[in-house]
Parts: sequence; C-alpha cells; structure tokens
Amino acid sequence: MTALIETRSISKAYRGVPAVNQVSFTLERGEIHALLGENGAGKSTLTKMMAGVVQPTGGELLVDGRAVTYANPAEALRDGIVMVFQETSLVPSMTVAQNLYLGDESFFNRLRGLYIAAQQFLQSLNFNVDPWATVATLGAAKKQMVEIARAVRQNARVIIFDEPTASLTPEEKHHFFALIRRLTARGVSIVFISHALEEALQISDRITILRDGEHVSTDLAANFSRERIIREMVGRDLTGALYSRSRARLPGKPALDVRNLSMGQAVRNNSFTVYSGQVTGVFGLIGSGRTETAKIVAGILKRDFFHGGEVRIGADPVRYRVPRAAILDGVCYVTEDRKLEGFFETMSIAENLQMGELTARSHSGFVLRMAEMQTLADEWRNRLAIRSGDADARVIELSGGNQQKVVIAKSLVQKPSVIIFDEPTRGVDVGAIAEIHALINRLADDGLAVMVISSYLPEILNLSDRILVSQRGRIVEEFSPETATQENIMYAAVH
Amino acid sequence: MSSADRAAFSQEKIVLTIAAAMFVAFSLLLDGFFTAGNIVSLVQNVSILGVLGVGMALTIIGRGIDLSMVANMAISVAWVLFLANGGTPLPLAILCGLAFCLTVGLLNGILIAYLEIPAIFATLAMGTAVYGFGQSMLIEGDVIFVPRTEAWFKAIGGSTIMGIPSPVIWFAAIGAAVAALLGFTRPGRFIFGMGDNPLAARITGVPMRPMMVAQYVASSLIAFAAGVFTATLVDSMNTRVAASTLIYDVILVAVIGGIGLSGGKGGVRNVVVGTLLIGTLLNGMTIMDVPYTVQNIVKSLILLVAIVTDSILNPRDEQTSQQGDI
Repeated sequence: MTALIETRSISKAYRGVPAVNQVSFTLERGEIHALLGENGAGKSTLTKMMAGVVQPTGGELLVDGRAVTYANPAEALRDGIVMVFQETSLVPSMTVAQNLYLGDESFFNRLRGLYIAAQQFLQSLNFNVDPWATVATLGAAKKQMVEIARAVRQNARVIIFDEPTASLTPEEKHHFFALIRRLTARGVSIVFISHALEEALQISDRITILRDGEHVSTDLAANFSRERIIREMVGRDLTGALYSRSRARLPGKPALDVRNLSMGQAVRNNSFTVYSGQVTGVFGLIGSGRTETAKIVAGILKRDFFHGGEVRIGADPVRYRVPRAAILDGVCYVTEDRKLEGFFETMSIAENLQMGELTARSHSGFVLRMAEMQTLADEWRNRLAIRSGDADARVIELSGGNQQKVVIAKSLVQKPSVIIFDEPTRGVDVGAIAEIHALINRLADDGLAVMVISSYLPEILNLSDRILVSQRGRIVEEFSPETATQENIMYAAVH
Repeated sequence: MSSADRAAFSQEKIVLTIAAAMFVAFSLLLDGFFTAGNIVSLVQNVSILGVLGVGMALTIIGRGIDLSMVANMAISVAWVLFLANGGTPLPLAILCGLAFCLTVGLLNGILIAYLEIPAIFATLAMGTAVYGFGQSMLIEGDVIFVPRTEAWFKAIGGSTIMGIPSPVIWFAAIGAAVAALLGFTRPGRFIFGMGDNPLAARITGVPMRPMMVAQYVASSLIAFAAGVFTATLVDSMNTRVAASTLIYDVILVAVIGGIGLSGGKGGVRNVVVGTLLIGTLLNGMTIMDVPYTVQNIVKSLILLVAIVTDSILNPRDEQTSQQGDI
C-alpha cells in the first residue's frame, strides 16, 4: 500500500540558504509520527511544504502515491492535509460553533441549526466543548480541541501539529494525547513537531529526527531512547551535560526578599527569599503566578496598592513603578516570551546588546561609542557562543536558541546583581539548552542571585540549589535538591 | 536601518530612482526646468516641508505621530508676529511663541506618555485645540504680517548665502542635527528601540515616558522653526494653513521615503529622498501647468506605486517574518 504522504528528496531554500535539504519522509495511514530536531533543523519547513504553506524548491511530494504541488494551504486541504499552528487561527470574539463553520456558512445563516450541528459534531468526536462558548473565554487546551474539531470537520486525513503541547498543563497534555489517539482510530494520521522528547516517546508510533535540514533517522518509537534521540538531534553526546546535577551551593546574603506580595487573583500573599551565590528554582504550572511575581519584582507589573506586601532588595524595601528603576538597582528580568518583549527584531545582535549597555546603571554619556559596541558584541558572542554569520546579523534571522542567548546577553550587559530567568529554555534547541544551563550555573558561581522560573522539571532539578514550588499565586513548598524528586515536586504543584 | 540596508531595492532606493528618472525626464522634456533658478526654487519650495518632515520622522520612528505640527507652527508663529506688531519687542515675542509651542509639545507628550492616549488621537485633538485657541484668544485675523522694521528677523528665512536660499540651508542643518541625534546618541537609539518593540524597550530599561515627552517637545520645536522660516520667507503667516492638507503632505514625505508607520525604521535620509521626489514632481507639474487637483492625484499615485513596489520586491510574508523558526 502506498504511503499517505511521501516526500522524495524534498528541499527548500530561502535566498539560497537551504532550510530543508533532500529529505525523504513517509507518513502511513493512522499513525502518529513525531518530528524531532533542534531549532533550525527544518521541522517546521518540512511540514509547511506538506501543508502547502511554503513551496518546495526541489524534490517531490507524493500524496496517495500521486505527485502533487500545492500553491497554497487550501489546495492541501482538498487532499485532507491540515496544519494547526502554534498561534491559534480561531476568531476569538466568535463562539465555538461559529468558528467550526467559519467560511462554510450558507448565505442565510441559521444560528440555531449551526449550534445543533456543532453540538452533534463535537459529541461525535467525544470532545467536551460548549459550542455556545466564546473562543476568547476558553483555555489553551479547549482552543486546541476546537482547532482539531475544525480540521476533522474539513475531512482532514492528516493533521500536522507544530508544538501542540507547549501551552498545555500536564493534565491537559494527557487529555490532548487521548484525543489524538481517538483521531487515529478514525483513520486520521498525525504529524507532530515537539521539543518535549518524553512526549514523543510516549505518544508516537514512529519518530523522525532531522538535523540541520537533513534527515537523520526514522524508526519505531519503541526503538528510541531519550539518549539516542538527543545524540541524533545534536550529533554529539550531551546527556551528561544536561542531566547531571552539580552539588548545591550554599546561600549567600539574602538578595531579594518578597513578603506577602499580592496582585489581584494572580499573586496571593506570596513570600519567599532569593539568596546571592545560588540558583533558586521556581517550579509551578502555567497560571500559578510565577511570572506575575517576577514581573512585580522587576517593576514590569504593579502590586496591589493596598495590602500589596513588600519587596526588599538587599535590606531596602522597594516599589518599582517602571522596569528602568529595577535595572538601575541591578534587578533584571529575562522574559519568557522573547519575540513579544525580548529583542528588537529590526536591529542587529550588536545593536540589541548596545540597548542593554545604554540602559545599564553604569552607563553615562550622550554620544555613542561605535567601536565599543563592536567589542561588546564580539565579547558576548564569544562568551555565549551565539552562532551567526557576523555581529550585524539581525536577531530575527537567528534560531530560537541564539535569539534567547542574545536576550540573556542583553540583560547581562546591564551587570545585574539579581537576575530572574523566566522559562529560559522555552523553544530552545537541546544544544543551546545545555549552554544556557552552564551559563546560569556560572552566574551563580560568580555570586549573583539567580532565580529560574520553569515548568520543565528536569531543568529545575538540574539547575536549582533550592527549589520553590508555586501554586495558585503563592510559594507553597520548598525542597532542597537532595530531597526533591519529580514526583514530590509535581505533587506539591498540583495539590 | 540595517534592514533597509540589506534589501537590494528598498522603498528608499525605489523612490530615489523614481525621483531621479523624473528629474532627468523633466530636464529633457520641459523648457525652463533644468535652469539654476528653477532648481534653486524647486529645493526652496520643499525645504520647509522637509523640515516638518524631519520632525514628523522623529515621532514616527518612535512609533508615534504628531498631527498637531502644522497647527502648532501656524499659531505659535502667528502669535509671535501679532505680539510684535502690537508693540512687544520681537525677541520677547519670539520667547512667548517658543514657550507656547513647547507647552503644546509637552502637553502632547504628557497625554501620550502618562495618560497613555494613542498619539494619533492626542495630537489630532491638540492640533484642533491649538488652532481654535489661537484663533479665538491669541490673534485677530487669518493672515499676520511680519513687522517691517526687523531686518535680522526677515533674514532668517528670506536671505540667500552664496546663492542658496536660507530655508535650504536650514533644512540641511536641521536634517543633519536630527540625523546625528538618531544615529550617534543614546536618545537616538532609545527612539529606535521604542519604535521597534515598545514592550522590549520598557523591559530593557529605556526611560519610555521621558523619551516620549522629549520626542513631542522636539517635534514642536522643529515645527516652530519651520513656522519662522515660512513667515520670514513669505513675509506673513497664514493661520489657515492649519486647516489645510499640509499635515498630510508632511506625513507623505516621511512615509514615501520609506519610514515605516509601524516605527523603528528609517531616518533623515528617507525624508530627504521623499522631499526631493515631491519637490521634483510639484515643480515639474507646475511648469506643465497641471491643475492643483490633478497634482494631488499624481502625488497619491506615486505614494501607492512606491509602497506597492516595495511590498512586491521586499515581501513581508512568513518567509521573512518567521526566519527564526525555519
């Protein structure tokens, strides 16, 4: 039997730079196929070619054994191929039912009939979503269900997911996996791109690994181990660097002391202390108030005016109204969303780092010193191993890991004494994760007070000298690395 | 700026090419176009527009816009002339006008930075308010003439140095000053940062609010300067200019040269290019005796052609915008 989708030596080059180079890939009917690789390995580009979002520059794409060229996603949809993107493509102000039938309404649109049809359809999929609910009020998991339902309704035979679980809580992830299992039972094939290796091992039937735009291996998931995946993704052995824990550093002086901090429903009576010379890891599920707490400390958000609690830097109580005030006191926050609020996309690496230098507390003067900007850029590119053609490369052109390094370097240029990393390795490839972890360890060794917020347990366990667990707006537990296990941290985070 | 430098044919280069082609075509086809006198008057006619364009560019690059520039320019300078005609010593009158226009800029900045009103609405309201306030409270009549006695004042915009009219020199000077500010100073980098990504600029520690206020004060100051050049060049200030379409022409010269309205892109060079294009076009059409209404159609077509060509040659699809995700 011919494969549902087959690519034969398919290639895609952007301005002569190959993103995908002669990749051959097959997707069988009813299978779940995980695509793994570092950022920049060509996973997204490969799937986008299958879904008609981008057009190949070489090779062949076969669907049901027949060569096809898709000029746009609509043509791929006619063959039942749908791609679900990281950013949801639903209309937030419309209801679930309206979104499901968007573009297919008859001219005289009877809402009642629409809702009944939507209700029946969602029930047939066994999806528990209210068709009358406005999409904006739904959580990430439910939105994803609506996206999937829409794809199925359009007679999708292949659904391609780009990092479907990135914004889901562990509970929602289990639910999501159950959903896609149910879809494969209906004969739908799934391709999913992921950074979470455990998920790929757990859910997929087969795994394909790409590296630098080229195909490395395809095999049954049962034949893979996490070590083999990492080795093949990065082309070198990283296991030790990633998952060994250095011995705990002793706390220095308290650098950041938060007492009874409150902000609306997000942060409730939160208290904890961060010491210099060690890494304080904060684990919690999304929505547990970790990011909000960090942003209040760094002056990005404001705490409640009455009974808002207290933040002390060293011994001094502070109330920053703008991030600049925090930075002048040596408190830096490295954002979890680098595209939204991390880097300046029209600027080069050097110009981004210069923004950090110009806003640093040590900076004075009016006229720029261009030569210093270049030295600064070269220095940090070496220190953090930022890989790019030159310092003039625009940050938007870099891979996720290198972008993250630029954002981190921009904060380090400001010479902080307290630095807060929020999800420092989200959307970062495995090689860069190891480098960023090594950097964070070095900062703590150098005496900085480092706080790392993460919802990725191995990261927390690997980095932290103390582990705080956040739940519903406050820190509820503290572990030392000796006593912490994945199980008891997770237990504290959800109960 | 780096993005514009990288593109093989940026909007700036397209517009420069169109301007050059038009210049050559007019020189060959139109009698009296390529003469020293006409070239000088061509540049002189648009140099004040260019000065205003430089001020506008400053706010647009910082992801703002100043729609009150023309009203501010007309009323503050008309008030200077009105006071001077009424017997106030001219230097004191100038100080009053300057104080007025800086106050307007300061209010703009406070509305936008501290009360967080979108720049387009804040400055639109401010422009209308300034015009109304000036007409009813400060001055009488629409056209105020420059007092005849003060020769040094008239020399500001009405003299020539080595055959070059002084507005052209002022345009060059102000353009150079703003270019230096944008390119080589700390506030300049902050303006680009704020325009590129305001959220990132805030988190990085750019003093957003003081910088925004400074931007609008600067654009007001430039508007006042442009007003003084206009008044001294034509011996009067017609406050009705505030109700004209001049403000759109100012935005036009900034945008046509390639300063993106989304901020963070472009520089003074783009304003110069835009100004040259509009200058050549208007001058050529005036020699050809094209009616004013038709001139407007041609202007708008050129703007559309430049923007469409740019979007075809430098597509902003997911290929370029998501290069980081490949």
